Amino acid sequence: MKSKTYLAVATLFFALILNSCTTSTERRIIDPSEDVKGQVRAVLTDAPEVPPRITNKSNTKVIVELEIIEKQMRLSDGVDYTFWTFGGKVPGKFIRVRHGDLVEFHLHNHPDNMLPHNIDLHAVTGPGGGAEASLIAPGKSAQFSFRALNPGLYVYHCATAPVGMHIANGMYGLILVEPLEGFTPVDHEFYVMQGEFYTSGGYGDPGHQDFDMQKAFDERPDYVVMNGAVGASSGENAMTVQVGETVRLFMGNGGPNLVSSFHAIGEIFDKVYVEGGSLINHDVQTTLIPAGGAAIIEFTCDVPGTLHLVDHSIFRAFNKGALAQIKVIGDENHNVYTGKEKEEVYLPEGAAIQRISQDKEEETGPIVELSLKERMEAGERLYKSNCMACHMDHGRGITGTFPPLVNSDFLQARTDKGIGIILHGLRGEITVNGTKYNNIMPAVSMSDDKVASILTYIHNEFDNGGGLINAADVKAWREK
Amino acid sequence: MSLKWTIWFLGCLFIGMQLPAQENMKMIPAGSYKPFIKGTTERIAVEAFMLDKYAVTNADFLAFVKANPSWAPDKVKALFADSGYLSHWPENYLDNKSLESSNEPVVNVSWFAANAYCKWKNKRLPTMHEWEYAALALPKGATDSAALTQINNDWYSRKTPKQAEVGSIYENKYGIWDMYGLVWEWVYDFNSVVSNDDSRNSEDVIEGLFCGSASLNASDASDYVSFIRYSYRGSLKAKYTTRKMGFRCAKSIQ
Ligand code: HEC
Ligand SMILES: [Cu+2]
Repeated sequence: MKSKTYLAVATLFFALILNSCTTSTERRIIDPSEDVKGQVRAVLTDAPEVPPRITNKSNTKVIVELEIIEKQMRLSDGVDYTFWTFGGKVPGKFIRVRHGDLVEFHLHNHPDNMLPHNIDLHAVTGPGGGAEASLIAPGKSAQFSFRALNPGLYVYHCATAPVGMHIANGMYGLILVEPLEGFTPVDHEFYVMQGEFYTSGGYGDPGHQDFDMQKAFDERPDYVVMNGAVGASSGENAMTVQVGETVRLFMGNGGPNLVSSFHAIGEIFDKVYVEGGSLINHDVQTTLIPAGGAAIIEFTCDVPGTLHLVDHSIFRAFNKGALAQIKVIGDENHNVYTGKEKEEVYLPEGAAIQRISQDKEEETGPIVELSLKERMEAGERLYKSNCMACHMDHGRGITGTFPPLVNSDFLQARTDKGIGIILHGLRGEITVNGTKYNNIMPAVSMSDDKVASILTYIHNEFDNGGGLINAADVKAWREK
Repeated sequence: MSLKWTIWFLGCLFIGMQLPAQENMKMIPAGSYKPFIKGTTERIAVEAFMLDKYAVTNADFLAFVKANPSWAPDKVKALFADSGYLSHWPENYLDNKSLESSNEPVVNVSWFAANAYCKWKNKRLPTMHEWEYAALALPKGATDSAALTQINNDWYSRKTPKQAEVGSIYENKYGIWDMYGLVWEWVYDFNSVVSNDDSRNSEDVIEGLFCGSASLNASDASDYVSFIRYSYRGSLKAKYTTRKMGFRCAKSIQ
């Protein structure tokens, strides 16, 4: 077994020597019998933080202590889940070592845990990636050592039967084996990891949610999230950088099932270490990250604004939570991006510019007021076609991006009952039920009658205190 | 009532009469079951046997320790129990009213201790097949195994973090309480499927677990809870104690 590995290493070595004139970057092969100097304790971090760059220039013995903790945490607003974690959070602690290091791994299974666990690090050369050596009952610790033979960004996960369930409950994280030459310095390094959750109830169903094995078999997740929960790294928890700064993302995908079409809305990846390995691609829009895989992504933030890190299998981003954000703060650079320069009506027939109204005729007629029942019926239809795309069904919203309309303290505090928001749109920072939003809602052009129906619906159906809003009320505000 | 059923029923009565009255034990009738780990075809026959109605409580175990001081927390040999042994008991356990009346299942006991307790009671630990077979019985009133999955699920996800008392989770059709949802339970041959000794053959472990995983298909999604039980047993050694593991005893029918 051992000698086989040596043989393989030796063969590879020769193959490389023979090929050395054709490979542009030189690959260092680690001789596992080479000595290590000194000993350090690894600094471990929770997402989106990344441990500091490694300054040691020789092979070191790195001691990693990782504790498995099963605990209830927030999956989304009002939604709890019992996560199984490496270090108390999902994703698990980020581990950073250097190519050639000897890693002495200590895995602890907290005595209050219900279940046995282990760890399979994709960075390990050896049976089960360490899983075989680390199966431990609650209250036990296991120790094993491995040599970091290959550089790259690797996923680690629990591999205790049933493996899929342990991963689905949050047991994954990243380990970086930093290449000998190190990375080029950047202003920020961030840790983001995608993963899906299969819950007994649907997306957003409140209360404690159980794991649903059938949905996991069918690969039908209710949640696809970045960093373990809806909104974990967006809105108020977004990562922030200054204009002009460089960013390196360590992006992983825990799965258990889905492959991520990873994309940043508003940015192009200057450099992608494909699949977390040594192959570098440039100028990438969307990079595929397999379940149990990772990528290292670098870019410069040239203009201010919010970058949305999404799974571009896009329903996951808008309807299941697969969104993280980087806020880029600083001055506009109009040489790169101008922002909206002009907005005007586009009339292909070349007619004189006029105000577009979908409801021209209706508006000119006399006002006919409807009953509460009629307004509710019309309002439901109108809500679905005009508002739901952003504010989601049942007015749930998307934490950090589109505010909820359900029991909204912001809406209830407005004297116009929300009329002005529909007529004129809304932009700038607002706080809805304790969460900050800083986004733009465009004005919606529609008749007084329709505005009245939508708002009546929102005030009654979404718990905003009820009441009947008449077309005359809307007309009065419009004319103010 | 079919003839077969009647004969079986009378047979049970007959066996029942032969036995000394076993308080708090119930008879599990003979039968067979499809064990989770052995693939999909082979059924395992299980003889009729008696099984404790409840998991052994702290109060029960205290009586055992008083009668057998070598199993006291401060006397037990390290070979037979790790340092967690009875660590939830107070210092003055010998004279502690709440422990004496504790209806919570005893936990933090090793296999050796559980085995010794059952022997002392003139019983034995159930075999893994006996335990699994008895645990398959549905809760009284339930019509399908989803009820069992739910009980397991609630337990794994710690909806009630406090340790529940015996007789509080559910009674199954044999009159046995809390096979799931209360504590993990030791079985006599816990290490027969996947062994975790130093001499273990890793190929067996892989095969055992992954054949099991292959048998998991959409039609028996609920089986993953058995999978968890098997991997739990695989992580144990006979001297291990954990905060969520107790036991109950069984007895053969002569
Ligand atoms: C294109 C996406 C989009 C659409 C469509 C949209 N909104 Fe909004 N809405 C937003 C955003 C973004 C904000 C927050 C603006 C800010 O941050 O200042 C918002 C804010 C609001 C608010 C105030 C905040 C709150 O939660 O109470 C209300 C009320 C509201 N919208 C109602 C509606 C109604 C009614 C419709 C349908 C007629 C609608 N919106 C359609 C994006 C949208
Ligand atoms: Cu695990």
